Amino acid sequence: MEFCWQPEYLTFRDEVETFIHEWRTPELLKEQREREGAGGGPILTRYYEALQEKGWMKMCWPPDLGGEGRNPIYRFIMVETMEYWQMPYGNLTYTSVAPALALHGNDEQKKRFLPGIWDGDYTFAIGYSEPNAGTDLAALRTRAEKVDGGWIVQGQKIWTSLAAQSTHIWLAVRTDTEGPKHAGISLMIVETKTEGITIRPLPTLSGFVTYETFYDNVFIPDENLIGPLNGGWNIIMHALNHERVGLSPTGNLARNYDLLVDHLKNKAPEKLKDPVVRNRLAEMKMQLQRHRALAIRNAITIAQDDVSPGQASMAKISGSELRYRMTNTAMDLLGRAGALTDEAGDLAASDGRQQSTWRSSPILRFGGGTNEVQRSIIAARHLGMSR
Amino acid sequence: MDLDYTETQELLRDTLRGFLEAEVPFSQVRECEIEKRSDDKLWAQLVEHGYLGLPFPSTIGGGDGGFVEAGILIEEVSRRAAVVPIVEVLTAAITLQRHCPGSSEVVGDILNGSAIVVPAVLEANDSFDSFELAASADGALRGEKRFVDYAAVATHHLVSAVGAEGPGLYLVDARDPAVKCEPIPTLGRTPQSVVRYDGAASIRVGERDAAAALVQIGRALTCVQLLACMDASLEQTVAYTNVREQFGRPLSTFQAVQHHAADMGMHAESSRFLVYEALDCLERDVATDEQIAVTKASLSRAVPDVVMTGHQLHGGQGYIEENDLYFFTIRGKDRALAWGTAEECLEIVAANVEDKAQWL
Ligand SMILES: Cc1cc2nc3c(=O)[nH]c(=O)nc-3n(C[C@H](O)[C@H](O)[C@H](O)COP(=O)(O)OP(=O)(O)OC[C@H]3O[C@@H](n4cnc5c(N)ncnc54)[C@H](O)[C@@H]3O)c2cc1C
Repeated sequence: MEFCWQPEYLTFRDEVETFIHEWRTPELLKEQREREGAGGGPILTRYYEALQEKGWMKMCWPPDLGGEGRNPIYRFIMVETMEYWQMPYGNLTYTSVAPALALHGNDEQKKRFLPGIWDGDYTFAIGYSEPNAGTDLAALRTRAEKVDGGWIVQGQKIWTSLAAQSTHIWLAVRTDTEGPKHAGISLMIVETKTEGITIRPLPTLSGFVTYETFYDNVFIPDENLIGPLNGGWNIIMHALNHERVGLSPTGNLARNYDLLVDHLKNKAPEKLKDPVVRNRLAEMKMQLQRHRALAIRNAITIAQDDVSPGQASMAKISGSELRYRMTNTAMDLLGRAGALTDEAGDLAASDGRQQSTWRSSPILRFGGGTNEVQRSIIAARHLGMSR
Repeated sequence: MDLDYTETQELLRDTLRGFLEAEVPFSQVRECEIEKRSDDKLWAQLVEHGYLGLPFPSTIGGGDGGFVEAGILIEEVSRRAAVVPIVEVLTAAITLQRHCPGSSEVVGDILNGSAIVVPAVLEANDSFDSFELAASADGALRGEKRFVDYAAVATHHLVSAVGAEGPGLYLVDARDPAVKCEPIPTLGRTPQSVVRYDGAASIRVGERDAAAALVQIGRALTCVQLLACMDASLEQTVAYTNVREQFGRPLSTFQAVQHHAADMGMHAESSRFLVYEALDCLERDVATDEQIAVTKASLSRAVPDVVMTGHQLHGGQGYIEENDLYFFTIRGKDRALAWGTAEECLEIVAANVEDKAQWL
């Protein structure tokens, strides 16, 4: 056993930190906020080019898909460090669509889409969820009927995040209504500006705006079917292993902790002397270590090319629930100042970050596979309990 | 013990609920939030129908009720997430009525709608029992108060300050040019301000004990708001899980969902007991600081857990602002921080841990 990072990882972490400090300007952060993570925008485009040049976007991809085949721990360290500094490191277009295309697309499709993705010209929204297909995703009903040269799509998606900022939608449609639900789903790419698509904004509690998308006689050409017909479920379920190491990072929460203590130090030093406050902070640190244990445990398993759904679920649950608990306590410690939003300027504690993180905590608990489902996975797959 | 409302109180609750559901659609609440204003129309209605006067003697235009009636009123208004200074004005008015002799005229003005009086307590040091805001011999106030709820809507502020006679409560005309309200944007999306008093004229209306009573009352009445947030979130969640289906069955039939809802229900049940017990003890003048602090700490801890579990059981639907769930989430946490956070209230309890635990 050896509970420490080998020197090459520490060197890499330093390299990422240096890179971040070169790029982390108020202008970049502002563009990032305004584009809501969609990418695009002059500064972010240059930033992503620089990330590409470093080779960090695909470093852990297998060589046959154009990567360097590096150990996924590199990815883990990059995500942790980027999260700590709130820097973008690729949205779902890079982390979900691109790997899936590389894996399941044909040569023509890879040539058509991948360069545009890497240049930042193409951004994808993910169109899986529907009003009646959330946790039960296989129940999706948006229908694609075969016509000459392609498909005609009818239906509705919800939570198609970034639809308004994206050039394409990565769409799951029903192509077979007989047989088991999950065996009749296909994946297609559709241009967002295609006739028949309407997009309606849905502002959320966190301030993030997601979208509903409606498909009325939308034509999708044959060449935009990804993978085999009725083979969509596998593509949806299959995420490249190394992408999963970065799920539920500790970086973001560690940053929240540090900013909280900074604020207390500067603005309320007498609070920081209060033994009760120190005890609460100590508890936060303990919880962070506990979460870090699960996050690293999962990352190492993946790095060993192993699969442990239970460990992945543990990291997901612990990260998302700690996000709520930590910010909730942080606000209690700040008192009413904890409720101030960034618009309150100087009065607000670290730009109102505790309350904004608190507001955004629900999505991580029910998104990405709800924590209820994750707990069942732990019981069945990790503890061997009978279903 | 009798834990039930009287028939009259039940009737009052039902009447209020019907009235508020009809008069305060959630769209109206959203409008107030967006325009960063209070619901003046509703306030006028609450005055006009005599609801505001319920907890006051009929001799000054009230309905001869007490703290429990105040609780019913606040609960119903808060279940609509209405943006009106109901807790603030009732806190100020009840304090004036019960602890500031010679104030019946201003209380009468509050009840007839010509005055809106809100408390201004917190200063930069976040303390409820030490204030630095100074009143000179002629009553001129100098200093700053923070997080004054509905300061800009009010005609008067009931300010805790220190004068020649020691700490006490001072009544200030909020429209005096020497009173400056700076709005502050908060999680709860209700109007709040930092207020500067640059020599504003005031009159001393209450002594140190009145200032202490103000905090007790404000704290207890805020607990009613918290209770309403919990109940509203819980009820909406139960109703939603009964109709939302996944895997061909209602969410409410999944055991994981049931257990979450049961936890929410336990919080709501214990909170209701604690809140009305506190109100009754205030009415009988036997409430202690510790009791009120325990109640506020308990509800301030419970509310965020309850509303966030509500979000968990709603999934995406509860996360969008088109859904009414968020009102109770943001108001709940914002009020959990007001009038003493769980941490601050537990500190009060911590001072007396040697006292035996009450078990009956
Ligand atoms: C802001 C936001 C962005 C999103 N972005 C995208 C996106 O880009 N693309 C996309 O396709 N989707 C997206 N989603 C959808 C997201 O993945 C879903 O919200 C999630 O899958 C949960 O589904 P649901 O909201 O329908 O909740 P439901 O499935 O209705 O679940 C509600 C509750 O019931 C519980 N429950 C359900 N079934 C069971 C069961 N069998 N046992 C126990 N408990 C159960 C759940 O755990 C949960 O607590 C987004 C959602 C939001 C809110």
